Amino acid sequence: MVPLENYLVLSAIIFSLGVYGVLARRNAVLVLMGVELMLNAVSLNFIAFSAYLDPDRIIGAVFAVFIITVAAAEVGLALAIVIRLYRNRSTSNVDEAASLKW
Amino acid sequence: MSATEVLWWIFAGIIVITSLGVVFSRSVIHSAIFLIASLAGVGAMYVFLTVEFLALVQFLVYGGAVTVLVLLALMLTRMGAGGNVERANGPQAPIGLIVAGSLAAILVAVSVSTAWPGDTGKTTPILIGTISDRLFVDFGAPFVIASVLLLVALIGAIILARQEDE
Repeated sequence: MVPLENYLVLSAIIFSLGVYGVLARRNAVLVLMGVELMLNAVSLNFIAFSAYLDPDRIIGAVFAVFIITVAAAEVGLALAIVIRLYRNRSTSNVDEAASLKW
Repeated sequence: MSATEVLWWIFAGIIVITSLGVVFSRSVIHSAIFLIASLAGVGAMYVFLTVEFLALVQFLVYGGAVTVLVLLALMLTRMGAGGNVERANGPQAPIGLIVAGSLAAILVAVSVSTAWPGDTGKTTPILIGTISDRLFVDFGAPFVIASVLLLVALIGAIILARQEDE
């Protein structure tokens, strides 16, 4: 049986890679991919905790459902903003969109 | 080492390698395809954790819907064939590497050294019925609010991305 710590270490690695993606990338869509990796690491953590520590109440699994819902809303909205930005500025580089106005 | 553990390590390796591919790949399309593999690998981890329902949701929502959205956005926002290829990373990339590396070190050290209270040492199967009881009985109001949030966000996305007639 795989111990809980393996899942925690795996999810820490995925989360840190997501953080690197968010910090280092310039393309807005690539930044979003980093955010997706981070959200996935978090829900993996929640589900691992709920399967190992809290099998009766499974709050973690319920939280994972909400994370997936909010992540779907977030990615839809963010990609709409990226498409809008590209149409107005012909760029999807986050460094060139620093003025926060159209 | 049992067959389950061998499979677990194989999938963990796949997830780490494809996640590395997402953040270090030079081509954005390659990043998106690595992202599909990484999300599917996390879905396989849910199967190891005996939460089959969430594994299916993961494959459908992330492997299907979200990655298609990301690929479509890439298609719509990239330079044409003659356009200049942007550098993928900004000048801040080395600092990002330091931050992410130290974060990983802290998280790994904490999760290995902590004695988790109530650790059963094995996974307990989580049935769909249990999840639905929990979700619709105890978390009914947050569930409705989350569905309203999804509706509002997607209407907002349509309004933002709509082509205006001028």
